[in-house]
Amino acid sequence: MIKFFLFIKKIHFVLIFIVLEAVALHYYAGSTSYTKARLVTVSNHVAGGIYAQLSGLNSYFRLKKENASLAAELAAVRNELEGYRREIAGDTTLSAADSAALLDSATGRKRYEYFTARVVNNTITRQENYITLNRGVDDGLQADMAVIADGGIVGHVLGCSEHFSVCMSVLNRNFRTSGKIKGTDHIGSISWDGLSYEYVTLSEIAKYAEIHTGDTIVTTTHSSIFPPDVMIGTVESFTLNNATYYDVKVRLHTDIAALNNVTVVKYLDAEEIDMLEQSVGIPPSR
Amino acid sequence: MQRAIEYAVLFLVMVILQVFLFSRVGFSIYLHPLPYVAFIVLLPMEIAPVALLGLGLLTGLTMDFFMATAGINTISTLFVSFCRPTLLNLLAGKDEVRDGGIPNVNRLGFKKFIRYAGVMSFLLCASFFMLESLSWKYFHITALRIVLSWAVTLLLVYLCQRLFSVNRKKS
Repeated sequence: MIKFFLFIKKIHFVLIFIVLEAVALHYYAGSTSYTKARLVTVSNHVAGGIYAQLSGLNSYFRLKKENASLAAELAAVRNELEGYRREIAGDTTLSAADSAALLDSATGRKRYEYFTARVVNNTITRQENYITLNRGVDDGLQADMAVIADGGIVGHVLGCSEHFSVCMSVLNRNFRTSGKIKGTDHIGSISWDGLSYEYVTLSEIAKYAEIHTGDTIVTTTHSSIFPPDVMIGTVESFTLNNATYYDVKVRLHTDIAALNNVTVVKYLDAEEIDMLEQSVGIPPSR
Repeated sequence: MQRAIEYAVLFLVMVILQVFLFSRVGFSIYLHPLPYVAFIVLLPMEIAPVALLGLGLLTGLTMDFFMATAGINTISTLFVSFCRPTLLNLLAGKDEVRDGGIPNVNRLGFKKFIRYAGVMSFLLCASFFMLESLSWKYFHITALRIVLSWAVTLLLVYLCQRLFSVNRKKS
């Protein structure tokens, strides 16, 4: 028995190392994006305030660029609104009251609700990148809301604390959404291969699709997170895979490395759709 | 006691630099220096092996907490701490280790220190980036990330070592 204890004493260093390493490996193997997001949420209680200060300092240097892009976005929105106005005014079948009601879209049922937020922490150099925003539950944010900047996709919210939210960046190897070539119905799957912060991959585009470099890739109606027709990027190059599918290299529209202000979008029908799908869909496995 | 405070300050400085500077500034996808390894590199040579593992664990957990890496840092720092006594014996010589002291350039000489710190930071970078990528598909990319980040990490560890030594001379 004494020999046994002596033996243990001799190898206790190796033993402790193996035990600790095994626990760490076990935790890492069992971790998901949601565990990691929860970890960021907790650490933001400590570091969030400092991140916010640092990014506030940083944003001063970008005010000019930020103003220009805001003005451009406002102009685009005004143009779009003007287009609707003209369309409604030109529609002679509508009565004056109807067209007034159509114009007053604020009284209609909204499908999306928009929030603004500022990025306080953002990495691009890792394989699983996350973005922290300075808005949380108190500001109406919740999980599974889309994050958009400059009219292009950025990521989606994973979890929130009172004042901060953690989002999965497009630049995360676990990120998935659907995308299509604008103007066609060819839908594929968007993912990141972890190689460059400027490109994502659109895979599973049928070989019958007409595709050209420079084509625009946008989000689809299939997502319960992203609104349809939001820019993802433009086609950089494409290869035919197994003579059945195209793998398309897409240059991201949004510069994820230089994010500052973002728009968070809540799909108001998402809950209803989810509930309906659950009630008629495949019963949960027993 | 004074030494403990000095190491506590070093730990804090390394964590702050890593979390708020080196992990935040996105230089490139290939460059993610991990200079916090300097804390483990600079621990005194006479430290008890178990205390070494304990401090390695603490460093790893702190980095995982802030970097949201769910274990990669802990696995890497534990591994590096585990290898440290053997590495020191091999690269610095048993006599040096027996005499104790901080393994810096003044104590070991430039050549021995770079060899020792180089292997230590290489082990950390290699295990960190391989665990992060977890696939052989883009092995050349992972290799490039390891090599570039390692080079910058080693440079930063060297600078930390200089600052830490200056601090000691004054006190």
